[in-house]
Amino acid sequence: MRNSILALLALLALLAVEIGVSFIPFNPTARPLILIPALVMLGVIVSAFMQVGRGPVTVRLFAAAGALWLLILLALGSLDPLTRVAYPIRARD
Amino acid sequence: MNETFLPHEFQYASAEHQSQTAISGMWLFLASEMLFFGVLFLSWIFCRHWNPVGFDVGGGQTEMILGTINSVLLLTSSATYTAGTRCIEAGNARGLIAFCVITALLGLTFLGVKFGLEWHGDLDKHLFPGPDFAIQGAARAGAQLFFVFYFVSTGLHGLHMVAGIGLVAWILWRARRGDFSAAYSTPVSVVGLYWSFVDMVWVVLYPLIYLVGRSP
Repeated sequence: MRNSILALLALLALLAVEIGVSFIPFNPTARPLILIPALVMLGVIVSAFMQVGRGPVTVRLFAAAGALWLLILLALGSLDPLTRVAYPIRARD
Repeated sequence: MNETFLPHEFQYASAEHQSQTAISGMWLFLASEMLFFGVLFLSWIFCRHWNPVGFDVGGGQTEMILGTINSVLLLTSSATYTAGTRCIEAGNARGLIAFCVITALLGLTFLGVKFGLEWHGDLDKHLFPGPDFAIQGAARAGAQLFFVFYFVSTGLHGLHMVAGIGLVAWILWRARRGDFSAAYSTPVSVVGLYWSFVDMVWVVLYPLIYLVGRSP
């Protein structure tokens, strides 16, 4: 019970940090960095509420596999938009 | 009902083996759900990269206060369900029932705020993509893409919430029947994993929808 309350307080504090950071004037391309507190929140939920460290080793295996597949999906899927150079089309004379 | 008296299915070596398999199975399902929502997140990356202004204009139209209230509701519901799980692990079935009721009420309140207030207001403001879309000018196409992401992602998340509330209600019904004890609470733990996962999805959706596009 005490751990649940502590985890909830940590999550609410991180939420407040996230909202506070969103009011800092960032370059539009750097604004996705606002997600960093959200990533920490995911860690708190997985460790405190889902207790990934408890239970059989297959739990950690499946959790790690899910995170790895997600990383591969996002990384490979982002390669094209993040590396493609959009050249202006020259109008025909 | 005590797990030590429960006959386990023939393919398991023991009741504990059966319990561990159930929990591992839910984690495997959640790994597939990560990819399901991962495609949505990838679509956000892709569409925002090509339409940064439209996404920021669209994000500026969202109801940040309602989104924040919903974040607090959902984070609290994960904590209350986890507290209920700890109660039954200590043999306190009444505690589990009380926390299940609170969790389900928090989930229902989330759905009420999201679909009763927020979506209703968005539709009134003509923010649903289509010919009547309210945002005009150069940002119109990008803002429409943003609101496609908004309605699809919050709709899918809402469907998962409905399933989660149904599962919590099922746990509540079984707890009232006296099915769970300190020795046997595997379904309670398995449903808790699903509920926390739905919470995690919202933790990612919240900044994507309400914060990134809200330039000061």
